Amino acid sequence: MSRREYEDAESEFVEHFLGEYASVSSIVKEALPFELVAVVGGIVSGVILSGMTHELELIPGLIVIVPGVMGLRGNISSTLGSRLSSAIHMGLITKIDYKNKELTNNIISSMILTVIVSIFLGVLGHYISVFLGFGSSGLMKLVLISLLSGFFSGLILSFVSAYLSIGAFRFGFDPDNIVTPAIATIGDIISVMMIFIFARGVLLL
Amino acid sequence: MSYYTINGLVKGGLPILIVTCFMAIVVGLLLSYQEDILIEYPTLLILMPVLLKIGGDTGSMLGSRLSSAFHLGLSRRILNNPVVKNSVLAAIIVALISSAFVSVVVYFINFAFDYNTSALVIFGTSFIVVLLDIFIVYTTAIGFSALSHKVGLDPDDVVIPVVASMGDLVGVIGIMISILIFGLALI
Repeated sequence: MSRREYEDAESEFVEHFLGEYASVSSIVKEALPFELVAVVGGIVSGVILSGMTHELELIPGLIVIVPGVMGLRGNISSTLGSRLSSAIHMGLITKIDYKNKELTNNIISSMILTVIVSIFLGVLGHYISVFLGFGSSGLMKLVLISLLSGFFSGLILSFVSAYLSIGAFRFGFDPDNIVTPAIATIGDIISVMMIFIFARGVLLL
Repeated sequence: MSYYTINGLVKGGLPILIVTCFMAIVVGLLLSYQEDILIEYPTLLILMPVLLKIGGDTGSMLGSRLSSAFHLGLSRRILNNPVVKNSVLAAIIVALISSAFVSVVVYFINFAFDYNTSALVIFGTSFIVVLLDIFIVYTTAIGFSALSHKVGLDPDDVVIPVVASMGDLVGVIGIMISILIFGLALI
C-alpha cells in the first residue's frame, strides 16, 4: 500500500470512529453556548471601558496596560480554576478548608504571580510608552493602577474559583465545565471595573 | 509534602506570563497609537474587549482540541486530516455566529447610548477581526499544537496563553484595519 493510500485509509478510519466525537455539529453544540455567554461578559466590560474615556484621556499610558491587566485574569485566574478542578478530581481538595495546603498553595501562588507580573507590566508599560514617545503619566501611577487592579481582581477571582469549583462538585457538576467559562466571563468585567476604580483613585492623588 | 508547592507553581507559571506580558504591551501600544479615534468613537471601545476575546477563545478551543488529538496519536498529518478539518470548521462557525450576535447587541447599545456609529462599521469591524482570526490565530493554534506534540510542551501551559495573546494582537490589528477601511477620523 502506498503512503497516499495508507493516509486515505487512515482518514476514513478516523472519520468512522470519531464521527460523533469530532463532528462539526457536535463541537459547535458544545462550544457555542459557552462562547455566547462569554461574549456577553466581554460586551459588559467594553461598555465599562467606553465609560472610561475621561480617565483614558487624563492618564496617558493607561490604555497601554489595560490589555495586560485583563490578560492576567485569563492567564492566572483561569489556570487557577482549572488547577483547582483537577485537584478536586484527584481528591486532593474536597471542601473549603484553609488548612489544606493544596488549596492555599494554589491561591497564594496565583497571588504571588499576580503581584510580580502586575508590577512588571506597569514598569514595562511606562518605560516603553516613554521610549516610543507616547507619553506616560508616570511610573508610580501606572504601577499603582496595574498592581492594585491586578491584586484585587485576582483576589476576588481566586475566591470565586475556589467556591465555584467546590460548589459545582458538591452539586454533581464537572467543575471543569463550570469554572473555566465562568472565570472567562466575569474575569474581564471584574478587571475592567477594578481598573476603572483605581484609575479614578489615582486621579485623586 | 503537598502535591502543589508555591515554589513550583510560581516558577512554572512565570516564564510564559512574562512572554504574554510583552505581547499585551504591544497590543496596548497599538491601542494607544489610535487612542484619540477610540475616544471619538466609543462604540469601538465597547467592541474591543469582546472582539479580542472571540479570537482567543475559539483559537484556544481549537488549540486544546488539536493538542489532545495529536497527543492521542490519531494522526500526525495536518492537511487532509478530518480531526483538524472538523475542528477548524467548528471554530469558524462559532466565531462567525458569536461575532454576529455581538454586532447586533453592540449596535443596540450604540443606538441607546447615542454613539452614532453606523451598523456597517460595527458589523464590518467584527467581520474583519473574525477573518483575521481565521487566517492568523487558527494557523498559530494548529502550528503550536502540532509543535507542542513534537517538542513535548504542555498544551495548557504554553499553547493556550500564546494563542490567546495572538487573538488580542490580531483583534487590535483588525480594528486598526477597519478604522482605515471605513475612514474613521477625528471630527
